Amino acid sequence: MKKRIGEYAARSRMTVRREPSVREAVTGAALSFDGKRRRAYGEVDVEAWRRWAEGVKNHLLTHLEDYLAEAEARLEANGARVHWARDAAEAREIVLSLASDCSAGSVVKGKSMLTEEVDLNPALERAGIEVHETDLGEYILQLLDEPPSHIVGPAIHKSLEQVRELFEERLGTTPGSGPDDLAQAARKVLRDAFMRADMGITGANFLVAETGTVALIENEGNIRLTTSLPRVHVALVGIEKLLPRMRDLAGFLQLTTRAATGQSIGCFVSLIQGPSIRPGDDGPEEVHVVLVDNGRTDALLHEHAWEALRCVRCGACLNSCPVYRQTGGHAYGWVYSGPIGSILGPGLLGLHEAMPLPFASSLCGACGDACPVRIPIPELLLAWREEAQRRGLTPWNERIALAGLARMAERPGLYRVAGKFGTRLGATALARKLPMLGEWSRDRVLPRPSPRTFREMWHGGIE
Amino acid sequence: MRRGGPGARDRILERVARATGSRARHPHPGRLRTDTVTDPVATFVKRFTSQGGEVVTPDPHRTPGDWLTGFIAGLDGDVKGVAAGADVPAALQPGTPAAAPADAGAGISVAWGAVAETGSLILPSTGTRSVQLLPPVHIVWLPAGRVFARLENALLEMRPELPAAIGVHSGPSRSADIGRTLVTGVHGPGRCIAVWLRGRRTDP
Repeated sequence: MKKRIGEYAARSRMTVRREPSVREAVTGAALSFDGKRRRAYGEVDVEAWRRWAEGVKNHLLTHLEDYLAEAEARLEANGARVHWARDAAEAREIVLSLASDCSAGSVVKGKSMLTEEVDLNPALERAGIEVHETDLGEYILQLLDEPPSHIVGPAIHKSLEQVRELFEERLGTTPGSGPDDLAQAARKVLRDAFMRADMGITGANFLVAETGTVALIENEGNIRLTTSLPRVHVALVGIEKLLPRMRDLAGFLQLTTRAATGQSIGCFVSLIQGPSIRPGDDGPEEVHVVLVDNGRTDALLHEHAWEALRCVRCGACLNSCPVYRQTGGHAYGWVYSGPIGSILGPGLLGLHEAMPLPFASSLCGACGDACPVRIPIPELLLAWREEAQRRGLTPWNERIALAGLARMAERPGLYRVAGKFGTRLGATALARKLPMLGEWSRDRVLPRPSPRTFREMWHGGIE
Repeated sequence: MRRGGPGARDRILERVARATGSRARHPHPGRLRTDTVTDPVATFVKRFTSQGGEVVTPDPHRTPGDWLTGFIAGLDGDVKGVAAGADVPAALQPGTPAAAPADAGAGISVAWGAVAETGSLILPSTGTRSVQLLPPVHIVWLPAGRVFARLENALLEMRPELPAAIGVHSGPSRSADIGRTLVTGVHGPGRCIAVWLRGRRTDP
């Protein structure tokens, strides 16, 4: 997808004002996910689970070169082929070349944020290959030519009525069809795609170094079909998605699903070691794993960005975020939205490219509390803000305002005068007319200040 | 043949090593301690059924094949043909006419085992994946002695001889992608029925 991160303020404003249905649908879905997560966390000793998961991922990320080599050796021993892509262009080239080798005319895909990140679908389509997104939410978005707006529920911003109208127009479903009939209509179209596909493309939730196991979690069964029916399976895996041991996988499968949807495990988990070799196994003859960097080593080398690489893409931070819930994911202008996108963005793309995402947060801290691998998201947002300030990447008027504030705070006399002026300022309407404060207060209603300053109250004796 | 830009692998590994070399190495925290499962069979049944799965005990006075034929005849939707996985012994197959997985009304598999804490059936790829996925109803023989308390135990037991793929099925296919309403049978089977298989006890 085309990156439109710089338009965040304008697009979020537009979504809130002109598309109230998005806010309604996203808030409803996110709060429902969040409630289920809280219940599922409450069933286990979740703090122990989160500390354990943080520890495993920290161990992995500080021994990553060993585990990458181990995973590669194990996969090759299992009969799978391993390819390495430094960036999005290399990842696309590898997949295109594999598609060309098997003369793929039609591809089925499981939901994968990494394939969105590297813009795979347009490249396949340009090469004349039919691409079928098979996750129901992704399929809806493919028909609409829209990117996903949530890591786990890509189409949560769409209402039943919108899907009903879409399927009526595109699939010929009868007016007033319910969700069951709509899902069956999609199943019929996609079943045909599964039976015809030459290649199945997926991402991966995890890759176990010890056994070379690609693990995928889902509820619909489309990923199991994508990795089972076509002759060739290609899995794109970010290099941070590894886990050291099979034993670790058992914990991560459960924790990730509890965080994402509140289930104890997904309805279907695929554990793929390699191509089918034994009689009775009708799975793919070729399995390819593409290990993708695309900014991950930049993040790994950065003093604090590396912690964001623990992310398991559960979406819990999005669901818990009051800012995300107002706009949904599209306003963020990039594949990863919400709190995690706002710290992954600077890490993977560079801070300049990711501005103003670190500022797209109220720093309420809910995301950090929800994260199953204890990524300190609020602290990382602050660290990126400080770095943006230091590097002069914040708007000029904000820089001047903050410098002025700092000067004032150092001068008691000036501070006293400014405090008195502040108590008279009061009305939001006045603030909007002032330079600098005007921009800041455009989307905010200022609280009415106390009629007396703190100093005045202090000298008068505080009750 | 390996694809990718020239030297992509070495370049990535070199950068990774530079990053890990600049930071203190974190030790592995060891095993995750999860709650003890006191009654694995009861916990499996509770979890699996709460996720939409069904658990059935066959009539012990009939042979498994006979019982299954009758059970399939009683299913909603008039199942005309069934597909059985390559590893399903003849004695566990019904008398119902055979059909290709894509046309069958029900698929028959044998589970390698089950997991109590997650309510899951473990299905190795040697059991024919299209049988596990394409028919609208999936009937799975589950050896009664092979319910593992924890997912970790099951995966570790499988580890020495892993098949090309494993499917962990914890209920029917479902989605809430349309208007947040739960629908079943989206891509995979809309019904997932575990049938106890007695007399083959190999306790985990």
